[in-house]
Amino acid sequence: MSQAIDNAHNDHHEPSMTVKTIWLVFWILLGITVLDFVIYFMMPKSGFRNFIFIGFGVVKSYFIVGFFMHMRYEKVRLMAMIILPMAFVLGLIAALLYEGGVWSLTKWME
Amino acid sequence: MSDTAVFNAKSPWSGGKSPFAVSPGKLMMWVFLLSDAFTFSSLLTAYGCQRFLASSDTAPMKWPDPSVVFNHFPFLHEHLPLLFVSLMTFILIYSSVTMVLAVEAGHRMDKKSVLYYMFLTILGGIAFLSCQAWEWTMFIGGTHEGGIINGVQVFGANLNVNQYGPAAFADLFFIVTGFHGFHVLSGVVLNIIIYVNVAAGTYERRGHYEMIEKVGLYWHFVDLVWVFVFTFFYLI
Repeated sequence: MSQAIDNAHNDHHEPSMTVKTIWLVFWILLGITVLDFVIYFMMPKSGFRNFIFIGFGVVKSYFIVGFFMHMRYEKVRLMAMIILPMAFVLGLIAALLYEGGVWSLTKWME
Repeated sequence: MSDTAVFNAKSPWSGGKSPFAVSPGKLMMWVFLLSDAFTFSSLLTAYGCQRFLASSDTAPMKWPDPSVVFNHFPFLHEHLPLLFVSLMTFILIYSSVTMVLAVEAGHRMDKKSVLYYMFLTILGGIAFLSCQAWEWTMFIGGTHEGGIINGVQVFGANLNVNQYGPAAFADLFFIVTGFHGFHVLSGVVLNIIIYVNVAAGTYERRGHYEMIEKVGLYWHFVDLVWVFVFTFFYLI
């Protein structure tokens, strides 16, 4: 059993992160955060701006999960097991935001 | 019978080795992080729901604009929205980088570098928590002018009422950033335990530094959650 664990441990190390990649990802994340900052002050508040911020958040999470958490170098089954269930969250977001909008029209009527 | 055995031996699921090509400990850390992601998603979605609820024209109280609430910076008296929280984001991203560098040094079995980068990671975590403590102090203390809520002068914020807007605003701020801060605190404690173990040579004797990777996964997850807390509480 411990032999098997050691094998599993050694298997996935061939394609790994180099120090250069790590710093590149850092600069990308920092760049996106700075861009967040710039857009916040340059663009008037709007739904489109919120959309940009959420899009940037998704891009940042791609770099954090993919590179820092090493997900890009893992087996596809592991990626699927961890990432696909997050689809439930999309359902939750759709349902609760819709409900919130409906409540905002009905709750304050009286 | 023997045919079946040969066929099974080719399948990654036939046993003997992990089909995910990671150790059980790392796999369980991933599963835990998935469940934790569900928890944070629920909290952030509840925030969105409450915000939509306060969005109609007939709502008695408007949801406050973050740039009006979070516009303080230590030692500066001007109103500087987003600046302090961007600094916190930078600190957390940087501590994530030092964590990856510690993992990378672990692959090379370089104990001295691991210790150095783990130390920087712990420092980053403590710096972030200090910033959050300051942020909470400002939020709870409020401004000199305060605000009029339901005809009553209110200063600062607590769980029942706050000067900024609906009670749910402060409640969600406390639970979401508090829960995230508690994760950071747990991460710092784990990092300190790992640091002591590295210094004591535990992983050197074990032959690999995989424990750093497991705790690293948790630490990056905390960073990941902050990306979304930052987006929904401060940017939008």
